[in-house]
Amino acid sequence: MHGRPRKATKQEDPAAAAAKSARLRELQSQLLHFHHNRIYTKEAVSVSSKLLEINPEIYTGWNYRKLAFQHNLKEVSDTDTDTDTETIKSAIEDELRMVEVALRRNPKSYGAWYHRKWILGQKLVLANFDHEFRLLDMLLKADARNFHGWNYRRFIARLKDVSEEEELKFTMDMINTNFSNYSAWHNRSMLLSKLLRKKAKGFHEEESILSDEFELVRQALFTDPSDQSGWFYHLWLLDQTSTPHKPHLVSSWPSDKLNIEISAQFKEKCERFPIIFCFNQQVDGVNLATVTINSKLVSSEHITWKPLSANNSRKSKIWVGFLENFNKYCDNSEGLSVEISVHCCESIVHSEFVMKLSHMDHQGKNGDGFEELFLWDCPKSQEINPYLVSYDPWRLRVERVEEDAKWHLDTLSAEIALFKEMSECDEDSKFVKLTLTRLLGAHNSIKSGGSAYFEEILKLYDDLIKLDAPHYRYYRDERSLVLLDQMTSSKDSLVEYCSRCENSSFSCINPQLCINFSGLNLTRIGFVERLLWVQILDLSHNNLTSLLGLEALQLLVCLNLSHNQIMSFTALEPIKSLQSLKVLDLSFNEIGSHPVDTTRYLCSSPLSHSCNVTETMEELARENIKIGDFWEAILLFESLQLAQLDMQGNPVTNERFRVLVEKVIPCLKWLDGKPVR
Amino acid sequence: MESSQPPVSSSHLDPTSDSDSDSGDELGPHLTVTQEEQLKVESQVADIYRCLVGVSLHRQSLVLELQRDRHIEYLTKGLNQLGHTFQVLDANRPWLCYWILHSYSLLGEAVDSELEGRVVDFLSRCQDKEGGYAGGPGQMPHLATTYAAVNTLVTLGTERALSSINRKGMYNFLLSMKESLGGFRMHQLGEIDARSCYCAISIASLLNILDTELVRGVGDYIASCQTYEGGIGGEPHSEAHGGYTFCGLAAMMLIDEVEKLDLPFLINWVVSRQGIELGFQGRANKLVDGCYSFWQGAALALTQKLAPLAKEVSEEQSTIHATRDYSDLGIEFLRRCNQTGPLYHHLALQQYIILCSQILEGGFRDKPGKHRDYYHTCYCLSGLSICQYSCMRDGDLRPSTSDVLGPYSNMLEQVHPLYNVVLDKFYTAHKFFSRSSF
Repeated sequence: MHGRPRKATKQEDPAAAAAKSARLRELQSQLLHFHHNRIYTKEAVSVSSKLLEINPEIYTGWNYRKLAFQHNLKEVSDTDTDTDTETIKSAIEDELRMVEVALRRNPKSYGAWYHRKWILGQKLVLANFDHEFRLLDMLLKADARNFHGWNYRRFIARLKDVSEEEELKFTMDMINTNFSNYSAWHNRSMLLSKLLRKKAKGFHEEESILSDEFELVRQALFTDPSDQSGWFYHLWLLDQTSTPHKPHLVSSWPSDKLNIEISAQFKEKCERFPIIFCFNQQVDGVNLATVTINSKLVSSEHITWKPLSANNSRKSKIWVGFLENFNKYCDNSEGLSVEISVHCCESIVHSEFVMKLSHMDHQGKNGDGFEELFLWDCPKSQEINPYLVSYDPWRLRVERVEEDAKWHLDTLSAEIALFKEMSECDEDSKFVKLTLTRLLGAHNSIKSGGSAYFEEILKLYDDLIKLDAPHYRYYRDERSLVLLDQMTSSKDSLVEYCSRCENSSFSCINPQLCINFSGLNLTRIGFVERLLWVQILDLSHNNLTSLLGLEALQLLVCLNLSHNQIMSFTALEPIKSLQSLKVLDLSFNEIGSHPVDTTRYLCSSPLSHSCNVTETMEELARENIKIGDFWEAILLFESLQLAQLDMQGNPVTNERFRVLVEKVIPCLKWLDGKPVR
Repeated sequence: MESSQPPVSSSHLDPTSDSDSDSGDELGPHLTVTQEEQLKVESQVADIYRCLVGVSLHRQSLVLELQRDRHIEYLTKGLNQLGHTFQVLDANRPWLCYWILHSYSLLGEAVDSELEGRVVDFLSRCQDKEGGYAGGPGQMPHLATTYAAVNTLVTLGTERALSSINRKGMYNFLLSMKESLGGFRMHQLGEIDARSCYCAISIASLLNILDTELVRGVGDYIASCQTYEGGIGGEPHSEAHGGYTFCGLAAMMLIDEVEKLDLPFLINWVVSRQGIELGFQGRANKLVDGCYSFWQGAALALTQKLAPLAKEVSEEQSTIHATRDYSDLGIEFLRRCNQTGPLYHHLALQQYIILCSQILEGGFRDKPGKHRDYYHTCYCLSGLSICQYSCMRDGDLRPSTSDVLGPYSNMLEQVHPLYNVVLDKFYTAHKFFSRSSF
């Protein structure tokens, strides 16, 4: 809508203006007359020319000309075959000339540009491409950012089959004229993307091309670090350098070659055993048709797959399959051995694992667990390592790093060195610092281990928070991710955050190993793919407002979210899918700080939901509790089978709420540290 | 973001007080044309903002006053002109109607029934007998002018205005503009882009004629226009652009397929378009322009309502999809509370609009040095309204004084950011068109 013609700013004398508008009126009514009566004679068409010369925005005029063109062409081919080409050629030239006149008048006329594409797109004769490129040169010289012009250039280049290399040269010329011209940089990235995709096989080519591009953009950035264009292009380059082309598996539960020892309790309590695949990019099509299972006891029909993601596009980075009634199969002495292959993302993802009943069962405990209150003060212990050894989510990453990474690492290292130098010269440039954090982060994502740049990145984000206060939330989120990356980057670093819970017994795979990420100022969650096996997680005393990502931790039994900034039950949506969750601490959050959480209106009515609340509703009505005030809480608690819940210190909690919770969660044994009933 | 701090003061913007500005002259020859223009605008803006430095609050409030009477005068002049020259066939008359009448209603001005009658008559003559509105009587129906005509009639809001729309014909027109791959053509034999998709979807949604047939494929087309920068371009391979980003995002929300976009990425791009001049630019490395106060500002207002919901993906949902009901998405949007505060500096943007875009004699402009026009008047006022209401919490009836820059009398009517019509007018239209399906 922008770029529509504005009123002439020059004041004309009234008489001339009146004469002009009378003339316009006359031409318009003539055009409409011809259009409605389908009159396409030479004289009629010339009226449209006169009109469009004055006002190229009259799209009916362009349309009339298209119809006239088609009509007259058909007439020619019906009568005379010899003069065909010449007539067509001259008809086309007429149209192109008309468009050119219009474009000189208004270089942003949608109708005029499209008319030109329409005429040439029919490929009736060989276009005079030299002329087209000259016209483009002229228009882009007048306005180097005219996106109509750039769109048309891409159109013409495709029509003529100009090689991408040649068009690259043109973008280079434009950049040399004015390196601030982001449209030129943009087209360069589009062309290179195509080139690289085509030559994806010859990797060496890609590497040298990208190296040259880094060199090029460096010149622009160093000439003026406050110019935006180069930074965007640099971001694109970095993406090419650090993102693998094809999706691949980052981790799985159970991981390949894992021997799982399962306690008798777990076997009894758990009807569905989750199998999880995490990819580096969203993938689709993990289903019966693509999954093959090799096992004596289980076949692929026993597993239903679903994507775990925040959207309904049926694509997801994380896929979970539930092995139904798995406890039936674990009883034999060899255990249950399963080999799963997923034909996905042009390759085959593979995992093989064995499940066995554990012999060292927890003695003396009976009942179904949670007879005692679960306490979060787990002491640190030295005997942790053995438990972690069995599960290794890091191995896949190390394997991947060994192939093809050298050039990427070298390039990133060179860039890092340069930007560090730049950052020393200009300490207050947020562009430099931000790019440096991204470079260091990209380096980390390829290479793990001792040389990782975590401390540096964290420091840079601290600087950025001070330097660029309006965007501090963004930096805080990014900082949280870096911190999580650091803590989960290797077995050794994760051990620092592990402790053993001795105070309770419940169905468990990794006996009572607690991951403690409390008090770290986290604002968001990430790197869940390295934590798929975790059953006890402490995220208390952080600044979490969103729990996105937690849905992947399908084995979670105990979750501590106390002392965060969760504002509503809707924000707890990700934990709804955690079927094995038993202990949930939500104390001292801000749930209910909004008087009415209107996000619930996203669903038109509580009754439209699939959950069966009728019986509970009746009971609640007897207690004089309005279900409408609490139904997002009801939906959440109905979908979980909690044994222990802490909700104190939230605005929503009061006596009525306690009554409600006890009704909605019949299996609840502990509420706010006190036994229920 | 936290936005309690006052807008950037002029000293930050003054290129001559900048640490490395003394080298400005020697650097002169090395500057690109773009950079020179940028510096020029920055210094013009800085000169203007200097009027706020060191003056009393009372004086500041005078300087920051919205010249309501002058704007109404300017708009009325345009309306009268429209009256005299309605006969002149132009391809954009419904747009002029919308720009002027929407500005009017943002300022809380009523339209008398004589004028209302004239506008309805005129637009009725633009309405094609097969459905849709043309730029003028007798011309072909066009999606953009149809959008403008429908928004104008909704803004008038009377029974006469609303019932003048041939909805059955409109549905057929929209369907005939639909391409097999998902996008819409602007008009018969016309171009396809993200803008045409928004126009079609917004019209259909307002008139309660949106269905799966019209929606099919639109989401995928728009998603293919999102670029690696994060914003949305006009067509695939184009660079990201503020106007198209608004169009794409709003259309996606109206068809409930917003998850097909990379939202964090989109937000990241839009927020970075607010520059040192305090206003928004439309594309990377372009000059600030007042009209993007709406395009970019409203895109961010839309994202404020998006909760990071982890929707359950179920078979159930995909079967529901086949007979999806789109009639209440516009009203549901209003019922959601803001999930965050404004994601841009809302006071700073108001400062740009009032001090740099406002013309004291009435009307608004792109930037200092440019002329006023009705397009910029409409979108600067729309953007100003978006800013003023950006901090509304659930249950608030009106913005707090601290969120309205200048005197509280600057407060405008609230708009529905998905359609850009004033909220009350939206409710009336929604009620009117909910009565029947056709």
